[in-house]
Amino acid sequence: MPQDEHAVAKILDDMAVKILMVEPGDLSVVGELLAAAEDLLATRDEVANLPVLHAMAHAFKSALERMIMGELPDSAENYELLGKAITQIQEAVRKGADMDEAGVEAFARHLSDAGYLVSAAELLGDPGQVGPKEEEQAAAAAPSGDDASASPPPEEEAEPATAPAAPEPAATGSGGVPDFLQDKELLGGFIDEAFEHLESIEVNVLELEQNPGDLDIINNIFRPFHTIKGVSGFLNLRTINKLAHATENLLDDVRNGKREMDSDVIDLVLTVGDTLRSMVENIKDVLENGPDRYQDLDISAQVAHILALQEGKSPADSAPEAAVIDEGAAAPEDQAAPETTAPGMEPADSFTALPRAGQPSNSEGPAPAAANGQAAPRKKMGAFIKVDVEKLDALVNAVGELVIMQSLVRQNPLVSKIADPKLIKDFSQLSRITSDLQHTAMSMRMVPIKQTFDKMIRLVRDLSKKSGKEVNLVMEGADTEIDRNMVDSIYDPLVHMMRNSVDHGIQPPDERVKHGKSPTGTVSLRAYQKGGNMVIEIEDDGEGLNTIKIKKKAESRGLIQSGDNLSDHELNNLIFMPGFSTADQITDVSGRGVGMDVVKKAVEKLRGKVEVQSQSGKGSLFTIRLPLTLAIIDGIIVRVGSERYIIPTTAIQESMKPERKNYNTVHGRGESLLVRGELLPVIRLYQLFGVEDPTHNDPCEAIVVVVENEGRRRALMVDELLGKEEVVIKNLGGMSDVRGVAGGTILGDGRVGLILDLAGVIASAAEES
Amino acid sequence: MTLPAESTSKRADESVQGVSELAGKYLTFSLANEEYGVGILKVREIIGVMEITAVPHTPPHIKGVINLRGRVIPVMDLRLKFGMPAKGYDERTCVIVVEVQGRSSAVQVGMVVDSVSEVVNIAGSEIEPPPSMGASTESDNILGMAKVKGEVKILLDVDRVVGEGLLRQFEEM
Repeated sequence: MPQDEHAVAKILDDMAVKILMVEPGDLSVVGELLAAAEDLLATRDEVANLPVLHAMAHAFKSALERMIMGELPDSAENYELLGKAITQIQEAVRKGADMDEAGVEAFARHLSDAGYLVSAAELLGDPGQVGPKEEEQAAAAAPSGDDASASPPPEEEAEPATAPAAPEPAATGSGGVPDFLQDKELLGGFIDEAFEHLESIEVNVLELEQNPGDLDIINNIFRPFHTIKGVSGFLNLRTINKLAHATENLLDDVRNGKREMDSDVIDLVLTVGDTLRSMVENIKDVLENGPDRYQDLDISAQVAHILALQEGKSPADSAPEAAVIDEGAAAPEDQAAPETTAPGMEPADSFTALPRAGQPSNSEGPAPAAANGQAAPRKKMGAFIKVDVEKLDALVNAVGELVIMQSLVRQNPLVSKIADPKLIKDFSQLSRITSDLQHTAMSMRMVPIKQTFDKMIRLVRDLSKKSGKEVNLVMEGADTEIDRNMVDSIYDPLVHMMRNSVDHGIQPPDERVKHGKSPTGTVSLRAYQKGGNMVIEIEDDGEGLNTIKIKKKAESRGLIQSGDNLSDHELNNLIFMPGFSTADQITDVSGRGVGMDVVKKAVEKLRGKVEVQSQSGKGSLFTIRLPLTLAIIDGIIVRVGSERYIIPTTAIQESMKPERKNYNTVHGRGESLLVRGELLPVIRLYQLFGVEDPTHNDPCEAIVVVVENEGRRRALMVDELLGKEEVVIKNLGGMSDVRGVAGGTILGDGRVGLILDLAGVIASAAEES
Repeated sequence: MTLPAESTSKRADESVQGVSELAGKYLTFSLANEEYGVGILKVREIIGVMEITAVPHTPPHIKGVINLRGRVIPVMDLRLKFGMPAKGYDERTCVIVVEVQGRSSAVQVGMVVDSVSEVVNIAGSEIEPPPSMGASTESDNILGMAKVKGEVKILLDVDRVVGEGLLRQFEEM
């Protein structure tokens, strides 16, 4: 049985590593350790042949449990002692024989030092001692497949040598207001962990839909349930424990090939995830607002459903249930063939050593791949550290300052006169370093957009189920990076547009077939970087926009005149106009244009642009263009008198020196400028901002910049265009709500320049006139 | 005859109690021939006056914003804030950068003063409560009056001065 021996060694190695890394109070790692200890006990065939080793593992597990219950000090020293205890077990396994007395004594000493009193004699199986008896029980219980991690009843805790491992999982009652509030810190940790786990479950389930039968993914779903079950057990969160446990059992069957991961199971896992989430949210509420908030959800129906699923459809051709688990050790013999059952109680997180046998689901194709390439498909994960955002901002600020100071020094008249080639060389070296530094500092704020994209999977799935449409979501470029601060803001518009694409873009299957399309619609979600922008595209192969209807609607709404000669592209983009979004139009305009102005507003807030391309009957393509980061803005610096302002480049359409014949003043209606056939109101920036010394008072002498904001175009009158620059946006200290000003920036000479907020400028100009 | 005496001393005790927590180090500065003080713990730094970028749509005492080593901070002119006649800035003009609690986080604000004098240690016994001058909101800006070496120094409540002069201003907008 070399295979199983490896399994044991592997588990031990894992445990040894974990115990090295664990920090006091880190519940999740202790939970994993405990799970590993259970796995160790579960490799029954191996361990059962070595009763002393089994006893040691058992004692170790009990010690661990007592530590979690807070009876043993949760200290670094104790972890070290536990680590030494593991080393003893490891040695025993390596020798391949049962433990010698000296080793057992050392082991017992380590545990006793840690506060868990156990004698070598007990472990050696001295009859009459309590330990072995308990072990027999546990050993007898193990084959039933139950993981023994349910919360140990309190009576057992009192007796040091007793192993509180009697399996009683689903049986644990859900009694009234719970005793889980004992350790709020642990509970808080659990809540955070649980949310993360639930999220990963969801993502993996949806991934599994794409790659049915991928054992890696199934394991990725199984593991978080296992952890949630384990930890909730210690914390006496019985309802959560019960539900997680039942689901885990079901998934275990799937893992072992006794059951297929069909859509029933997937649906169930998703609903269980939702239920668990609401329960954890409730616990969080309890933690924040007191125990009276506690709600004990009735999960019996769900558990019954799980059990029904579990018993209902076991594939008849697979080995009998008991055999699969009991014959776990038999797996190695068939291991070469792809079609084997997986070893019964394989450790949940064996990353490399064990070749996992794929369970053939529908096709035989993917199974061998899963079996042979276990290590390869796992995504490469780098190491990460969490850093306070404020520190990051401080770094970015400091680097920005460094860049400015550098240019100030270089521009110093005395310095710039020096013609020393070495100095010039050093300067260019210096600026290379600073720009590298700036680039790195900026990139630290970037995160992949994957997280946001992943949420869309669930959205599309739910939407398509609800509307009875078949939709295939294709995602590309989820690794594209986006400014951390934008992630949250982009979520809502994306949801809006995805919903539109599925709800209104994709037609029902029968209609699609009528139009000669495949019954399954495709929605593509793409992200990529292009020319200093982040581009997100949402494309569907559905109905497309009905340009004629849009035109009619726009005319009736007064958005365009019937004589206006607009291209289809321009007409389609009218759906982003504010007036285009009342509920009754959903059906009128082939279902499009629902709140698209909201999308546009949100995107513009991020200084981005959104547009649509569509072909009636073929589909639509929505393109969102966003700046890579919110911290930097691409702007044109303009001068008005002695002040300088920055106008965001995204808003600028053109700039010109107006001709006198195009300039009109209408009495009482202000002044306007005819630009490409359109009369634009002129805003004199010096007037609006109270600048006292403008160079020009006559618009035809000055420069006008044509800007657009939310569909309104204006001609801004300035004295001079100074240039285009990428500037770092900073807020104005306590003054955050200055009308017409979006923020400030440090210009090349060290002075502050104000960045214009065009929405505010246009609004306040309208008020003043 | 002991009663009134007792109550007087009691009242004196109370007033000492009331202002003694104000005891500590103060940075003093002059403004139109008067000496003022701000608690040293509020002061972040003192800088010479530099070019100020005007911000539109703000009251006159908000002079604008400056670049404080990469941070943009607002600057207010205390003379204008207190309704005193404006005075051209010279080489003695200073900006005292103070830190106050803003709406969400601490913000730094510069205060333009005529000149900075010194840091003095003021004992609780030297501080008297602010004179009540009717319902004037200006006296709300004053923590107390300190008599140091025969000179009167007006101790400013920076949070109020800056809060009223700057932050609240924008909350209303």
